[in-house]
Amino acid sequence: MPEIKDKGILRQVETLTSKLRRRQLAGAQESAIETTLLIKYIVAHAKFATIHELIAIIKAAGRRLVEAQPKEHTVGNVVRRILRLIREEWAASVNKPVDEGDQPMTTEDSQTETGEMSTQSSPRSSTLSVGEQTPLMTPATPRPVVSDSQYSLSNFVLHGRPHREATDFASVYAATIQESSTTPKKSAQSIRPALISAIEEVMDELETVFETVSSSAKDHIHSDEIVLTLGMSRTVEAFLKKAALDRKFTALVAEAAPSFSGHQLAQSLASSGINTILIPDSAVYAVMSRVNKVILGAHAILANGGVYAVAGSILAAHAAQTHRTPVVFCAGQFKLSPLWNVYHTYGSLDFANPAHILGFQEGKLMDQVDVLNPAYDYVPPELINVFITNDGDIPPASMNRLVKETYDNEDYQL
Amino acid sequence: MAHKETTGSKFDIIAAYKSFVNDPDISMPVAAMQSLSELIAQTEVATMFELMEAVKDAATRLKRHYSHNSVSLSAGCDVFYQFISSLRDFGQDFEGFKSHIIAAVREYAQNTKQVKDTIANHVDAFIQDDSVILTHGYSRVVVNALLMAHNKGRRISVYVTETRPRGLGIKTHEILTAKGIPCTIILDSAVAYTMEKVDIVMVGCEAVVESGGIVNAIGSCQIAMLAHAFHKPVHVLAESYKWTRLFPLSQYDLPTHNDHILSFDLVSTPPTSGTNSPLPGTPRRHHPVLRTSDTMPSLLFTATSVPKVPPQPSFSSSMSNVMPINQAGRNPEVDYTPPEYITLLFTDAGILTPEGISSYLVTMSLRSES
Repeated sequence: MPEIKDKGILRQVETLTSKLRRRQLAGAQESAIETTLLIKYIVAHAKFATIHELIAIIKAAGRRLVEAQPKEHTVGNVVRRILRLIREEWAASVNKPVDEGDQPMTTEDSQTETGEMSTQSSPRSSTLSVGEQTPLMTPATPRPVVSDSQYSLSNFVLHGRPHREATDFASVYAATIQESSTTPKKSAQSIRPALISAIEEVMDELETVFETVSSSAKDHIHSDEIVLTLGMSRTVEAFLKKAALDRKFTALVAEAAPSFSGHQLAQSLASSGINTILIPDSAVYAVMSRVNKVILGAHAILANGGVYAVAGSILAAHAAQTHRTPVVFCAGQFKLSPLWNVYHTYGSLDFANPAHILGFQEGKLMDQVDVLNPAYDYVPPELINVFITNDGDIPPASMNRLVKETYDNEDYQL
Repeated sequence: MAHKETTGSKFDIIAAYKSFVNDPDISMPVAAMQSLSELIAQTEVATMFELMEAVKDAATRLKRHYSHNSVSLSAGCDVFYQFISSLRDFGQDFEGFKSHIIAAVREYAQNTKQVKDTIANHVDAFIQDDSVILTHGYSRVVVNALLMAHNKGRRISVYVTETRPRGLGIKTHEILTAKGIPCTIILDSAVAYTMEKVDIVMVGCEAVVESGGIVNAIGSCQIAMLAHAFHKPVHVLAESYKWTRLFPLSQYDLPTHNDHILSFDLVSTPPTSGTNSPLPGTPRRHHPVLRTSDTMPSLLFTATSVPKVPPQPSFSSSMSNVMPINQAGRNPEVDYTPPEYITLLFTDAGILTPEGISSYLVTMSLRSES
């Protein structure tokens, strides 16, 4: 198992690890942002000769963070996301001509690079654009005969069938051919600025996620509608407030016992002028026949399109299903995890404080009963109509594909 | 087309395929890839175009020869063709290209066990301790996954369907019990009776199609539908070389379907007097007739390794009621399971939902057609 040698990085990793472990740092967005900052620090300060060394260091750090707090899924998601961006940057940079790769890229250069990265990952397109300026590039040296096992049939079958992954794979393949002729050390160091700017982009995305998710709010909520939500989700809060700028609607908020986080949301919505009604969780079914839409927040989106959401969500989703009311989840894409709900018990197996259900003052009773306070429900994809994300509206069926496109297979297990 | 005569005629693709598929560890798609690679090794053509044409031609002949059971075979041929097309784009010298393909296929055929283990590792977390698994027929990859779970100390028990007409469930039962996994063979018609006791349904398949559904031994569809009705997960284990470009909308869109399957016997029933006789003017309906004199039960079990089932009192008499051979011929060997009855697919490319597989396959075919 590769370990982190640099003292400074190690200290940073340990600080964040203990914050996560003690739950001093909690919440999907905060954890994701802190993790991004840490990785940015690692990329900026780590000593690495090849890109693989850098990836190994980041993976090792990611593994520690995930082990410290496995229920905070966004930590692992952000690490995986950045690992993929690093590989993309590297594949693109290796395809560049040798003399250009010697000098570090200017920030301007790398920014345009990262912007186009998602669309332009095939080696042919990138060499073509470079080739216009330096026509003597790649064709001058004959390609070596493929003898290494990189481009084997099993790799092809593994990567090959999906369209996007096929082009990625081809770019990596082209990169390995080129690597033998170039000096990998120089290029690995020289893409550092490009990597930093890629990470900064992730950072920007995380910081503005609530606004971007709610940008289409008025297309989803119509005038005089009644929407139901449950508990407190900052994404949903931002979404409803954004919609209220253009529409007049009623928000029913279930209080989400025993945390009663719904009270907080109801207060916040009411104070910004939204017609808000607070209801107990047990009334969700009773009011459902009047509800036009159920809007919920997600803790984590799983690879099959199911979600872990605040306890009580499954009740609301089933009640909605019975009344054929659409169920909508609002979530930033950083909540997308390459995980499966293997055991369908207790949602994510994360439990909140039982004292909220049965206080210590009731000592007599406490000796006789076990108290469980599951924090999350698992809502299966068949109960969900759509996800509203910062990347558009996505049906649960497409989540599987999105996972494959966002993360690399090899990073699923950090 | 002159090139076809120069390349195709010398090499007997079908004989080559037969020699490869005899290996019990080699599945049909891999054997198809091996025989096509053998063609590349032996061919005398000198240009890339001719080579691609020769491969295409041989693949067509192979598929035509095995048209009654060609689904997984075509999957293998398609993967192979796509693989060499993708390599062609890298524009290296012709001999190097050929030798690389041959080496790649050889390596791949040797690694089929590894692929099965990858799938078994994916599925591992989904097999809980004490779970009861229902499987259908004989699938190498399912058996491998079950054995792996068993070897890790997971206490599993398995129901396997008899899987008429080939009776391959008996082979699964033999292998699993030999390794110490509790296993019971159930009748194909007893699936609904059993389903309540089952935790997960786990099947292999011949091919994964573009809708995200699968093509597998006959009976798979009804098992998946029953599992769906009982809210039990249906997990399909499939190597990714089985992904195929086929989009069936019904059972009868499968290439294995022909007019003979499910056709009616043209023996007319003698008109009976009274209410049973057809109304005047309406066309007479022909009913299939069961003629017990035709019964040849032993012929229906074509798999060589299948042992004789010890006759049991209640079954001994019914064994003579096995359907006549001419009726057996009207029955399909494979069926299509639509994606809505499948929970997850476990492949060496990871765990996928049927929709996930579908979107990949459809994009891919759109791309290759453009």
